Amino acid sequence: MATLHLLSHSPFSDSRLASCLRLLGPDDGVLLSGDAVYALQPGTAQLQALELMPASIALYALDEDLQARALSAPARAQAIDYPTFVELCGHYAKVNSWL
Amino acid sequence: MKFAIALFAPSHAPSSRRALRFAQATVDGGHEIVRLFFYQDGVHSASSNVVSPQDELDLAGEWRNFVQQHNLDAVVCIAAALRRGVLNAEEAQRYGRPAANLDAPWELSGLGQLHEAAQMADRLVCFGGQ
Repeated sequence: MATLHLLSHSPFSDSRLASCLRLLGPDDGVLLSGDAVYALQPGTAQLQALELMPASIALYALDEDLQARALSAPARAQAIDYPTFVELCGHYAKVNSWL
Repeated sequence: MKFAIALFAPSHAPSSRRALRFAQATVDGGHEIVRLFFYQDGVHSASSNVVSPQDELDLAGEWRNFVQQHNLDAVVCIAAALRRGVLNAEEAQRYGRPAANLDAPWELSGLGQLHEAAQMADRLVCFGGQ
């Protein structure tokens, strides 16, 4: 069952993102929100790790949180709004929040 | 689609605002929220005594308005609430405390309500962290 993984902590302060990447299934999705969008900072190991994910794993980031941190989504990631967030929850069978 | 939404973070945490925006988008998208469950530090959002600075979003107030406007089932975990000093009139009397700071539309109940919400809903979405 495909799962949408919801991350909200900075990947520079704990290992949630690294743990999540190890657990991803082939059709899972990763949604970065809050400080987790810092994983998309250019030139970081975190972004490199995300770009190494198989193409079947979708990568999303909340546009609002990107804008608040003056970041822009790289080609690998899709910036989404809240209505799309809601629809994505329906697209995946489960939503797993890395609290 | 039926959603259950659980909030683990207090009203001053960014994830509380994210949960509210998500909940609003859920209703606006024509979906149903079967229950909101406020757990751990999330219980602070249900307190009537939260006073936000004038230049900041009053998230506790926004949650209250949202719950009332859509007549939602908004449950606050009783064990998490009691240990954080969030009490309704009944609990304040039971434990001999001088004041209550939780009233309608919020309801104090147990963790079983979260489990039940997860069973009733198609998706359980939890919010916490930064």
